[in-house]
This record gives sequence, structure tokens and C-alpha cells, in this order.
Amino acid sequence: MAADRGSRSRRRTPAVAGARRRLGAVVRLLTALMLAGGVYATFAPAARAQEEPRFSGAAAQGEALFNVGCITCHGRSAGGVEGRGPSLVGVGAASVEFQVGTGRMPLARQEAQALRKPPQYSDEEIRQLAAYVQEIGGGPVVPDGVEQQLDDADLARGGELFRINCSQCHAFGGGGGALSSGKFAPSLYPASDRTIYAAMLSGPQNMPVFGDSQLTPEQKADIIAYIQQVVQDGRDPGGFNLGRYGPSTEGLAIFLVGIVALVFASLWIAGKS
Amino acid sequence: MDVNDPRLARFEVVREGARRDDIEIVHYEPQVAAGSKAERRVVRTVTAFFLVAGLSATAFLVVYIWWPWRYRLVGGIEEYYTPLLGLTLGIALLTLGFGVLVWGKRLLPKEVSIQDRHEGPVPADDRHITGQTMMYMADELGVKRRPLLGVSLLAGLLPVGAVVAAPLVGGLIKDPHDDRELFRTGFAPADDDGAVTRIRLVREDRRPVRPLELLPGAQVTVFPGIPHGVSNQYADSVTLLIRLRAEDALAARENNRRAGKQDWMWGDFIAYSKICTHAGCPASLYEQQTNRLLCPCHQSQFLITDNARPVFGPASRPLPQLPIEVDDEGFFVASSDYRQPIGPDFWERP
Repeated sequence: MAADRGSRSRRRTPAVAGARRRLGAVVRLLTALMLAGGVYATFAPAARAQEEPRFSGAAAQGEALFNVGCITCHGRSAGGVEGRGPSLVGVGAASVEFQVGTGRMPLARQEAQALRKPPQYSDEEIRQLAAYVQEIGGGPVVPDGVEQQLDDADLARGGELFRINCSQCHAFGGGGGALSSGKFAPSLYPASDRTIYAAMLSGPQNMPVFGDSQLTPEQKADIIAYIQQVVQDGRDPGGFNLGRYGPSTEGLAIFLVGIVALVFASLWIAGKS
Repeated sequence: MDVNDPRLARFEVVREGARRDDIEIVHYEPQVAAGSKAERRVVRTVTAFFLVAGLSATAFLVVYIWWPWRYRLVGGIEEYYTPLLGLTLGIALLTLGFGVLVWGKRLLPKEVSIQDRHEGPVPADDRHITGQTMMYMADELGVKRRPLLGVSLLAGLLPVGAVVAAPLVGGLIKDPHDDRELFRTGFAPADDDGAVTRIRLVREDRRPVRPLELLPGAQVTVFPGIPHGVSNQYADSVTLLIRLRAEDALAARENNRRAGKQDWMWGDFIAYSKICTHAGCPASLYEQQTNRLLCPCHQSQFLITDNARPVFGPASRPLPQLPIEVDDEGFFVASSDYRQPIGPDFWERP
């Protein structure tokens, strides 16, 4: 074969043969480069997809909102920033619905507890943010149709569950109460049914978590119905409820108002006779 | 003056009676002339008051007997049962009072009476007589000469006084040493002739608790799974079962180990008495981020991850911990009773 190639090259001029050899080397190099590039092109996009996931429509919009309003504290891809905000991986849509829906997030400043404020995002935007947080880590979701469940709720059972699970912090009258170091359990009066449901599912801030296997959705509906019908809309038969703090305020009111009135009444009677 | 004189008017007799008690009626004046227009008006007013009182009291009885009173959620006239009772009774008593007042103030004659009062101390003679009378009585009883009588009287009467007090005070006294009551709770394993049964942790509806039913950061109030366990009879046994987050559970386990409470936790689960060691309130305000249990009464705070050590407030002892495990059927049980007495301090507490 070598002799054959040698005879053929001998037929052509050495200059032409040198040019062909150089051309062949260039073609081989090009082929190798293209092969390497092709292999890179085949595998590289997959690696990039893991770094920057593409989301469904709502979640993608949620991501855009997140990257503007939440990323400062909760970090890239909601991974959390040390000393500023926790990771949101796994907190679920229920948590977003509670925290953003009640205006607690975005936080006005770092303090003992996030306060209830007018919501900064529209319902649609909250749904998008929730979809985004749900897609990055999963977690509890408030089911649709909470309102319909309330129709069949058992108020008496809800009251019992409220007293054993909720009343220690939120108080019998639902007015809330103090916790440690400036934290507090908020009043339940402004809470909507979905807000209460989301709070029980996600355990916001220092509230314990009440998962669906601990309090079934029916029991949650009972509690919500009790809060809405008895605590929130409950009429106060005595008229003025004095904040529903119970015997302390009522005793004070009786003492200050009632006794003073009686003293003046007895003075008046003594003055008349 | 002879009060038996038939010619005397009744008023004369009354005035004489008062005079004999050193009371002088110095002024007497009827407010209204008998049969006058003014008198008839006042009589009408008083009558009206009494009639309203009667009507109102009758209405009270009618409401009390016939008004529907059973509570219904969707309000009907049942709601007005109690207010109506109060209203009718109030009007009845008020108008009765007004009637009596008007009668007294407008119809009865105006009268001023004066009774002389002696000045200064009681005369020396009277004081002497009273003193001697007392001493005379003591002498006649002869307690001084016959001391046995006095002693026996005391010995006889004191128990009689105790009999009077017994039913009032007796109900308040309960022997705390009875069956080591203060050192036992409903979680003490049932010992039936050597067959020891560990007591399950049950909810308020007597359902036992499985580990997977609680998420991290969840708490549930549990009671001993025995007859009457969810009742006031075992009010001291109320327990909080908490599932900590994994890293907090590690810290809690380590602190448990250091306190010699090896394996009192099960997995991430830890159980503490719900009754505050300060004054016995339910210390069940669980902060799942700071891992603290708060007592609402006096703001004591206990660190769950460090053997429920008190970190704030008046409580001085940690909440007693209940050693827990899971039985063959996958439900939580107490591996033993509480090893310390529950709740606030008491005299005999070691």
C-alpha cells in the first residue's frame, strides 16, 4: 500500500502533494472540532436546564415577581439568606398564601414578628408567587372549596377543637395574646377561612403546624366554622364586649364604673334626705 | 294619764306611749287632707305602681313557665327568654319599690319626734350595779369553787363546736398521701398480676396517636388511654406531645442524655407535662421556631430542647418529661409514669 501510494505521489508534483496533505490535516481538525462541539451541544443544555429550571406559566410569572420583590431576603431560587430570610424550599403554596395574602410578607423591617398589613400583591400575583414556591420545593397547599366544606361543619366539635388546640395562644375570645420576646399570637377577627386554613397547614412563624393527618380537613373546617360563626360573628349578649378579655376587664369596668356610680348615687340619696 | 280612758283618741294613746319611752312627738301634720283631690291623685299613682308590679310579676311567671327556652343556633324568640325574665322581674321589683316610696313620702303624715339622750357616762351607781350583777352570776355558777365543772363544760362543748365546723371544713380536707396520689398520674403502667400494660397516649376523642400523624413543628395534647383518662379525674395527666424539627430533636436528645434521661424521646418526639411547675396553669403555648413552651398565667418560659428548663418567669423547676415509645401496633405509649411529681410544688415534695 505504501508502494502504491508512493507510486501515485510520484506521478504528481511534490508541491501539489504537500498542499493536499495540509488540506487533509485542516479537514481532520475541523471534523474533530465539530465532533467535540456537537458532543458539547448535545449534553450541555441539559446541565444548564438543571441550574435554571423553566416553569409553567403562573410559576414563571411568579419567579419574575420573586426575583424583584423577595430575592433580597430569601435568596436566589428561594434558597434563603443567612441572617435575613429563611429558605422557602418546601414551605408550600399555603405558606405563601398566608404570608403574602395577609400582607405579612414582604416584611417592612426585621423585628420580633411579621405584622398584618394591607397586602402588597394582588390575588393573581399571590397565586403566581405561590405557584413558583410550590414548584421549587413542594409543600402544603390549601385545597379549593374550603367555603363549601364550611356548610356541613360541626360547630360544637369545632369549638372543642378550638379550645384544645387554638385557645391557649389565640385566647377563648379569639383576640390573641402575648408570646415571648415581643412576639404575639394575632387576633383571629380579620382572618378569612382560607387564611386560617393556610395558617393551620403551614404553621407560620411560631405557630405549631397542624397537618392534615393531625387535624383532618373536616376538623379544620369545623374549627374555621367555629371561628367565623362564634368568635368573629358571635354577638355579645352583654352589649359591649370590652375586647373579650374576660373577667379582668369586666371586673375592672364594674369596679370603676359601677362602684363610682353607686358612690354618687348614695351621695345623692344622702343629700336628698 | 290613764290610757284606759275610753274618751281618749287613739293618737293620744300613742303619744302617751311614746312619752313613757321618753319620746316626745313635737310635730304632727298630715300631708294631704282626707278626701282631697291631692290625696286621690297620690292614691292613684301608688295604685298604678302596685298594679304594674303585679302585672310584671305575673308576666315573669308566664314567661318562666311557657316561653320557649331551649337554645337553637339560628336565633328565634328563645333568645329573649333570659332577658325577658330579667326585665319582668326588674320592673316588678322596681315599681313595687316606687309604690312603697311614694306611699311613705306623700301619704303618711309628717312627724317630728324627739327622744332625750342622757349625757356623759352612765351614772356611777348603774355601773356599780351592773358590775356586781356580773360577779354575782359568776359566783352563783360557782366555777371558781368547783373548777371541775368549768373544765368538763369546756371538754364537753369544744367537740360540739367541732361538730358544727366539721361538715363545713371537712369537705376541703383531702389526704394527699392517699395512695401516693401526688406522685402518680394516669400514665402509670397498669400492673395486672405481673402483666404490665403500658398506657397509650390518646387525644381528647380517645384516638391513640401515631408518629406519622404529626409534622415537624406540630404539637398535640394527649391524655392517658385509660377509663376516665380524658376527664377531670386525671386532670394532672394532661401531656403535650411535640414533634421537633430534626436538628432540634438532636439537641434535645443530647440534653436528655446529659440529664440521664436516655431514650426518653422517641425519634423527633418529646412529651412534657402540660401543667406549669409554678402555679399549675396549662403551659401549652408552643413556639415552634424558638422551641419554647410558655405559660399564659405568669409568663414562665421553658426551653423544650433542654429538658424544659425554665428560662424566664417565676417557674423554678423544669416541666416533668414523660418517657415515650411506640408499641407493637405503632401507637405512642408511655414507657413509664412520670418520674417526678406533676405541677407546682407541695410540702412533701422531695
